[in-house]
Amino acid sequence: MEMKFKGSFKVSLPRAEVFEVLCDPQKFAPMLPTFRSMEMKDERTANVRIKVGVGRIRGTASTDLTLEESEPPLRAHYVGRGKVMQSAYQISYTFDLEDTPDGGTQINWASDTELAGKILSLAGGGLKGYAEKEINKLILSVQQGMTPGAPPVILPPEHVGWLTRLLNWLRGEPKVEQAAEPTAPQETFQASEGLAAQPDDVLQEQQEARDRISSILQVTRKDKAMGRKEDSRLVRGRGLFVDDYKPAATHHMALVRSPYAHAKILKIDTTAAEAAPGVMCVLTGEELAGQIQPFLQIGAQACALIEDYPLAVGTVRYQGDPVVAVVAETLSLAQDAVQLVDVEYETLDVVINCEQALEGKTLVHEQMGTNVDWQGVYEYGDVDAAFAEAAHVVKIDKLHFHRFGSTAVEPNAVVATWNDALGGIDFLSNTHMTIPITMVSLALGVSADRIRLRTVDIGGSFGNKIGNYPYMTLAAIASRKLGGRPVKWIETRSEHMQAGTQGSERSYFDTEVALDRDGVITALRSRHVDDCGAYTRYEPLGAVIWAQVLPAAYKLRNIRIDFSQEVTNKGPAAPNRGYSRLPHMWFMERVVDICALELGIPADEMRVRNYIREFPYETPNGCVYDSGDFVLMLEQAKDLLGWDQWQQKKEEAKQQGRLIGIGIGTTLDSGTNNFGQSIIVNPESPFSGNAVPAIAKLDIDGSVSVTVGSFPHGQSHETVVAQVVAEELSLIPDMVNVAIGFDTERNVHTGQNGTYASQFAVTGLSAVHGAVELLKAELKTLAAFALDAVGEEFEFGIGEMGPEVRVKGSDRCINFWMLSNLVNANSAQLPEELRSLDLNCRYTYRPPFDPVDLDKKFGNLTLTYAMQTHLSVVEIDPDTGRVQILDYAIVDDCGKVINPMVVDGQVQGATAHSLGAVLLENMPYDDSGNLLTGSFTDYAPITINNIPKIKFGHRESPSPFSYNGAKGMGEGGGAALHSIASAVQDALFAKGVIVRNSHCSSNAVFDMLQQPNREGMVQVESRS
Amino acid sequence: MSEQIQRIPVEITVNGTCYKREVEPRMLLVEFIREEINLTGTHIGCDTSYCGACTVILDGNAVKSCTLFAVQADGGEILTVEGLEKEGELHPLQQAFSTEHGLQCGYCTPGMLMSSLVLLAEKPEPEDKDIRKCLSGNLCRCTGYQNIINAVQTAAKDLREA
Ligand code: FES
Ligand code: FES
Repeated sequence: MEMKFKGSFKVSLPRAEVFEVLCDPQKFAPMLPTFRSMEMKDERTANVRIKVGVGRIRGTASTDLTLEESEPPLRAHYVGRGKVMQSAYQISYTFDLEDTPDGGTQINWASDTELAGKILSLAGGGLKGYAEKEINKLILSVQQGMTPGAPPVILPPEHVGWLTRLLNWLRGEPKVEQAAEPTAPQETFQASEGLAAQPDDVLQEQQEARDRISSILQVTRKDKAMGRKEDSRLVRGRGLFVDDYKPAATHHMALVRSPYAHAKILKIDTTAAEAAPGVMCVLTGEELAGQIQPFLQIGAQACALIEDYPLAVGTVRYQGDPVVAVVAETLSLAQDAVQLVDVEYETLDVVINCEQALEGKTLVHEQMGTNVDWQGVYEYGDVDAAFAEAAHVVKIDKLHFHRFGSTAVEPNAVVATWNDALGGIDFLSNTHMTIPITMVSLALGVSADRIRLRTVDIGGSFGNKIGNYPYMTLAAIASRKLGGRPVKWIETRSEHMQAGTQGSERSYFDTEVALDRDGVITALRSRHVDDCGAYTRYEPLGAVIWAQVLPAAYKLRNIRIDFSQEVTNKGPAAPNRGYSRLPHMWFMERVVDICALELGIPADEMRVRNYIREFPYETPNGCVYDSGDFVLMLEQAKDLLGWDQWQQKKEEAKQQGRLIGIGIGTTLDSGTNNFGQSIIVNPESPFSGNAVPAIAKLDIDGSVSVTVGSFPHGQSHETVVAQVVAEELSLIPDMVNVAIGFDTERNVHTGQNGTYASQFAVTGLSAVHGAVELLKAELKTLAAFALDAVGEEFEFGIGEMGPEVRVKGSDRCINFWMLSNLVNANSAQLPEELRSLDLNCRYTYRPPFDPVDLDKKFGNLTLTYAMQTHLSVVEIDPDTGRVQILDYAIVDDCGKVINPMVVDGQVQGATAHSLGAVLLENMPYDDSGNLLTGSFTDYAPITINNIPKIKFGHRESPSPFSYNGAKGMGEGGGAALHSIASAVQDALFAKGVIVRNSHCSSNAVFDMLQQPNREGMVQVESRS
Repeated sequence: MSEQIQRIPVEITVNGTCYKREVEPRMLLVEFIREEINLTGTHIGCDTSYCGACTVILDGNAVKSCTLFAVQADGGEILTVEGLEKEGELHPLQQAFSTEHGLQCGYCTPGMLMSSLVLLAEKPEPEDKDIRKCLSGNLCRCTGYQNIINAVQTAAKDLREA
């Protein structure tokens, strides 16, 4: 970020005298506002310490201020370089002197500030005003310094800040009068004043507030029903999130991260940090590189050459790239020591967008020889023939899907304990897939069975925390270095924004669409470029899963997409809700809307003409859409919304010059991965299909315990499993114990376990169902023996002695405890042939997938397809670009609904994410690679105030491919991105605007209104 | 660095128990609650006072405990999520969050409960817009908020009818 200011003023001193002051660093430096101290390094350079700060971000900056140019008595030019709060800056001051007719001097000044690093992303928008204020103070101070007899410049009394006043007050010292501060620090919390003697009315108010709270706490409720199994601990604040876990002697890790997007590391000096109080060890990339292997790369093309370590080795590649890890006895001591690490960098040119990446002038990873980490062409049908026959061809030059993240409220976190005696590692983490185990195991050379991974409660993730493994690895190494003490690392929010939550962005070039006379799309060709940031983590595998929804909801058969992924100097992308399919479906919806508008076909009619009608439907690349009805969903959604009335209102509003738009978003939520698609990015990939186990067990006391291999982080798996198992065993859900979280030691995982990609209702529940079936069979066999009822039919139920097995229609029964006892504590009673039973039944569900055909890029990539249709009505303020949602309707079809409350929750949550993404949330980078929304305050994730009232409708088209008819769901709510873009497009088409970007914030829409782009961006060729 | 870290004595009452500790002046109230007295129901979700996961009630008002120093709460009375239940029985507000499915991962929930409790103490019959205003500083990434509004309304009703 660069900030320039200039101006001029006059003083009465003659030019020679003015020059003398300005060209002497010893005289000039003390004029800097908030000057603390200085030390001359040589004749022209002074090391100056000044206090800096914006809002909560405060620190002392040490600047090397050099007089770089002095031309007596005309010009003095200073350059200052320094660091503060893991950020770097360069400031120059130039003074050009001219004589004035009255013998004085005119001083023309200019100042130029360049900033990089965390301070930017934290203080963001506040910086410009701050810099301007500071420079004005400097000029004022120079001006007064040069005016003989002027009173000395009074700078705000920052040395007596509010904290000092507070401390003085606490020590019983006389209260320091609060001086009028022109720049009152924003963080001043009024309660500090409140601690001084309180006026009576304040005390009285406080007492009343306290009384109100204690009286409301007295109320109890008679009906004790609970919504979910998980809730009982969570609403009491008794969950166990990673940061709540505090094993004895836990040490804390904090990271030094790069302020630059791309730079060579010249030198790292950790001496001061190592000597700091409480510091136990410091790690650098060089040290790690000698000890561990770089992380496994999934892809086989250029990305296979990437060397990815938990700490940067030699080069930093994005702002926030970890450089040094410091471990100390407490978190504050670790953070203190982080400030003492000195890293010298030499900045390099940056690659910030896909055009620069393609150009390849600067390489993010030299050894790749390119920035394209993977490329492949997806071609189906006869594209050229379809274009030759087309009645209309619509060409769209570029569309773009922006960078945003799901930003769970709990960031990444881990506690790692290296146990030398056992030769293994214990992790309590909030990642949610078993792939991180493979990553850690290969990097550290520790066998997977020596790695214990546990999760308990996870504060949301939406895919992001699959990217936790570099930090898990780092914490494990730190623990090893500390002789096995537990090491805890909790990501801060700003670290999470820079490094832990970014979804990848995508650009779509040279799109051409062939349509027949009726507006039916017959073919499409396009070039798509995905930007995954600096490292390919879970990439390019994640990037190519868009092919699960190749034609989206549409029946075209001829498609050619040239797809590539590139690396840039931005935060590494992590899986993000809607991963890769959402950007693709957004693109398809834009194509459909633009074609409809260009050909004058109403958006709803356009969809009806193009929707796939028959199910199961095999897409051109071999995926099978299982069931559903897009046309009926659209009809239902239109009824819910009041489509016709809104069309009428829209026309009336148009007469008054108002801009109302109505939009449609159709989407598919593909669930249950076929890992066979990994061969598309790596022909040698040894992965295919999917495998998810579960264990159903009768415990020694006869209770039913079920363990699944998922890693829930809000998806209510405990509740849903208990519900399903209770139904199958004719129990009530409270009688079913479901293990909380994940634990490798429960032996209920494969290499593909996890909570990701909308699958639990199919994979998790199928596994549970299979395990319960096995358990039931064993129970019946045992009951037949115990009741002497071989050959009879049995049923399950709750009897006088609890859960039991009965001979059907009789009162001959045996309860679960007795059956369990036979196996677990009384086995001598069992005949030989029953001694193999153990009432501990593990079943692995493997969906019916075939391997994928690599040459044709053909195969069934996912098992089920939930669907959603979103309709929105928006009004755009023509003066400000503000997009206001006037109405919103959603129809959802996720097959057989197992638990309506949970399904609704997922739909609402995902919709909020995508509304946030389209209207508010964005992760833009400036030209030097600084993330401009590095805090929640700048990123502004959607709050309760931005959620419109939404109308919900449901359909249930059972999947023929799952035992229970259910489909995975949880990501289809992303359709708000499509529907809002569609509505904005509808409102602005008449103004010559094509919505080319998925971010439709007020600013973005304002810009659209200023620069109509239809001409030149879209072309239509029609044959008569 | 080498100078002795200064510590200041404080007395803070949390959920009815008075804790006397000596703390660094820079210790945040949320650190005091989570680390000094080990009540980990109060969470941390950001570093710019945005998310509200750390909300507790101090002297009858909802405050973001990451935005106060522990020394500022000296002599104060704090209620955290752990103080809501009575002899193991949930408070109607906790129960309503559960029955209305006002939580998924549960990370934001303690903060949501504390902010809502203050609202209900002041306004037994809140309108939806009051709830939105009250919770505008509490971020939830899971629920989409509608069920949280429903939960607070249900709790308000239960409290009125109790
Ligand atoms: S932790 Fe986010 S507001 Fe306190
Ligand atoms: S329930 Fe997960 S953040 Fe609110």
